[in-house]
Amino acid sequence: MKKWFKPAALVALAVSLAAGGASVASAASSLKGKIVINGSSALLPLTLQAKSEFQKLNPKVKISASAVSSIAGPQSVRKGIADIGAVDWDASTDVPGFKKFDGQVANPVAVTVFAAVANKNVSVSNLTTKQLQDIFSGKITNWKDVGGSDANIVVVNRKFGSGTRVNFQLKALEGKDFMTKGDNYKETGSSGDMKTAIETTPNAIGYIDLPYVTDKMKALSINGAAPTEKNVLNGTYKVWGIGYFMTKGQPTGATKAFIEYIQSAKFQNGSLKKLKFIPLAAVK
Amino acid sequence: MNAQSRVIAPAELGNSLRQAGGDPLDRRSRLRFFNSTFKVLCVSAAVFVCLVLFGILILMFKTGVMTFETVSFKEFFFSTNWDPENGHFGALLFIFGTFALTGLTLVLAVPIAVLIAVFLAEITPVWLRDTLRPIMDLLVGIPSVVYGYLGLTILIPMLRELTGRDLADGLLAAAIVLAIMVLPTIARISDDAISAVPKKYRDASYALGSTRFQTIFRVVLPAARSGIVYAVILGMARAIGETMAVVMVIGNTPQLADSLFTPTAVLTSNIVMQITSVEFDSTWNYALYLMGFLLLAISLLLIVAVRLLQKKGAKAS
Repeated sequence: MKKWFKPAALVALAVSLAAGGASVASAASSLKGKIVINGSSALLPLTLQAKSEFQKLNPKVKISASAVSSIAGPQSVRKGIADIGAVDWDASTDVPGFKKFDGQVANPVAVTVFAAVANKNVSVSNLTTKQLQDIFSGKITNWKDVGGSDANIVVVNRKFGSGTRVNFQLKALEGKDFMTKGDNYKETGSSGDMKTAIETTPNAIGYIDLPYVTDKMKALSINGAAPTEKNVLNGTYKVWGIGYFMTKGQPTGATKAFIEYIQSAKFQNGSLKKLKFIPLAAVK
Repeated sequence: MNAQSRVIAPAELGNSLRQAGGDPLDRRSRLRFFNSTFKVLCVSAAVFVCLVLFGILILMFKTGVMTFETVSFKEFFFSTNWDPENGHFGALLFIFGTFALTGLTLVLAVPIAVLIAVFLAEITPVWLRDTLRPIMDLLVGIPSVVYGYLGLTILIPMLRELTGRDLADGLLAAAIVLAIMVLPTIARISDDAISAVPKKYRDASYALGSTRFQTIFRVVLPAARSGIVYAVILGMARAIGETMAVVMVIGNTPQLADSLFTPTAVLTSNIVMQITSVEFDSTWNYALYLMGFLLLAISLLLIVAVRLLQKKGAKAS
């Protein structure tokens, strides 16, 4: 007769614990839902940080975040694969190379600073806009032509569809085209690949957003201004853009709460700043 | 009934099956039911697999041929100008890259793999063979991204040191990575083929006074030839479809590889780099599907080749 007693008691205990746990959680938040985020790898550090903080506050919301490239963001929202498409430009308008996405709303989330970066062994630390244009279009091929040592420049570019590429081309190269061929030219798929390529290739130059800049690479000044928050705010450093979360129509439910959490002053001035993004309110 | 009729003669065995009983659930109808159900299940499973394969083929082909609405056949297959942003879709450089990379991989991998197989099957003592074989089998299972990462972080800097190039990404780096990847596959299957050569061939060869070297290269290897070719084709199929490792070391630049160190691209690496960034209903997307179809067709041809070789081998022995 006593055989059933122990398991039954355990079950009762588990049920009461689960109920207790649930009631604690519902005290914190009753928000439920599932959010799928895809898109920009530049915005991924921010998305992941916001995800872990938001899930602590709202344990019943499931968030999965992944990143391929900016253009994949609004495209997966259009296909219905993702609820949020992270993109480094306002995809509800036309930009060079990409048409606007009808019916999608662009929710600004952060200011991203992009930096031209070089391998540690490069002695040059400042380039002008003209020099950058000539290097990335393949006209200047040796570091000695821009004041460095006598070594060939290795140009690392991001693949077509990258938001970092769109922003860098628009703002650092002022719309000038990239080279696409050559012995010292290669393309990488994501911000992470770019980071590895710059860190491991001597004489390489590329570009990346500030959260990915490590001390194993060198962030170059452009026209005498270093890529820092201070220089963005005082207007001397121009290579930055606003990152957006695209949603199908106005966001609702958990998605809305998540975007509002990122836009809140607490997150913008806290974790977002620590990750080397700049709060939206600072530049507007 | 007397006791004798209880002993069933061998001819009578199964009689209960042949004669219909009155009971609807007797042994005979039960067996018939289960047999036919089982048969239907097996056939439908086989049909399902065929349908999936044909579905994939047809989908890839149907989406792929839409490329030719805007791009000429000649441009796609015979031009090396891949610049989709400006409407140029020349895929020859990827097709060339794929074949060049596979060829180079085999040139590097096959001799070493066959020597490893000879060592395993003919030369090494039993205890070492029994350790090495499972290790080779484990090597086959290492994910390709690991090989790619090692290539990116160890092999490419080494190649830069050796050659003095600024950027060593290209066919050679990718071929070395792939060669290391397919080496265990080719070596283990060749090893099995060599081990399967009957001992009497070797005995006869030694009896005629040949050395061990002559026995191995004049008798054993020719006898195991079809098995070794089978191994090479399997390795080749793996090399042709490999993506992750290749994309990390090939440079991903759409230009014809005119040297071993020119950053270039192959069918697989170009598809994986671009497929996530293109518009769904665009010529660019269709062109990538067509390249996928080409890859699929090449792999299928290789598999058919393996089957034909197997049949030939079976007949010869």
